[in-house]
Amino acid sequence: MHQACRIVVETLDALADAAAPGVPTRELDRIARERIEREGARPAFLGYRGYPATLCISINEEVVHGIPGERRLKDGDVVGLDLGCVVDGFYGDAARTVAVGHVSDEARRLMRVTEESLRAGIAACHPGKRVGDIGHAVQTHAEGAGYSVVREFVGHGIGTSLHEEPQVPNYGPPGRRQRLVPGMCLAIEPMVNVGGPAVRVLKDGWTAVTVDGSLSAHFELSVAVTEEGPWILSEPYPYGGGRETHA
Amino acid sequence: MPRAAGGMGPGAPAAAAAAVEVPGTVLESLPNALYRVQLETEARPQVVAHVSGAAALRRILPGEAVVVELLAYDPGRGRIVRRRF
Repeated sequence: MHQACRIVVETLDALADAAAPGVPTRELDRIARERIEREGARPAFLGYRGYPATLCISINEEVVHGIPGERRLKDGDVVGLDLGCVVDGFYGDAARTVAVGHVSDEARRLMRVTEESLRAGIAACHPGKRVGDIGHAVQTHAEGAGYSVVREFVGHGIGTSLHEEPQVPNYGPPGRRQRLVPGMCLAIEPMVNVGGPAVRVLKDGWTAVTVDGSLSAHFELSVAVTEEGPWILSEPYPYGGGRETHA
Repeated sequence: MPRAAGGMGPGAPAAAAAAVEVPGTVLESLPNALYRVQLETEARPQVVAHVSGAAALRRILPGEAVVVELLAYDPGRGRIVRRRF
């Protein structure tokens, strides 16, 4: 999973560099697929429940699950990139939102707050805490900044499938849901809207957009709960002891 | 990729629950009008199946050739939709 997550995040780095005005979203999908396959991995989303692409690209008011196509990025777009891959049967899943060219101050603040919300959620991943503590940390941070968190989509357990138990909502009371134990791997992924939390899914069956048309951002990392605390799986094991080889 | 919240299992919101029909043979009758069915597919050799309304008009006996409908939600379960002759 460490390998899979590392490949996903490195590919996202490359995609963030490639996301420039005029680039068709299909081109980013092609880059993602080639990179993943060159690393000897397999795209995790392609074919998942019929999803037709390697990458999800969600622009501006699109929240998640945007399908790459002929649409071209333009200056000022806020672009969510969500990617997953499989290495030796183990999944990695991560997402980030990037700015194309010059974006508004509001957009910058939204992206910053959403990433901070993700970090707040990850910081709650200690053994003995509960899944609800993660969502509470995310929600508290995002709503504290005046934004709202999406309810209809949630983070998830991850391992030998893309979506495993438990569901990891980005909201809710602390101290509820499953207790976190070492070895649990969770994809934590706040989706934060400038306006209200309501979203709807377009006729393509995938693309989720904000009902009020407001900007939305999405950041995601796959995290393992360890005895010592959270381990962001795309990064080296942070607590020493050479445990990198175990994932 | 976030999953849809709620009790419908993991995955996308509107992903259609496409049913697959596969031929099989009833192995044994279980309590609660359930049947264990041997399938003619390699991926899922046996399932426990309940019986659809139309197929339940006549009692199903072990050894009977049937068509079983499978959904993605539970790989071990199926639904007998009709007999094969």
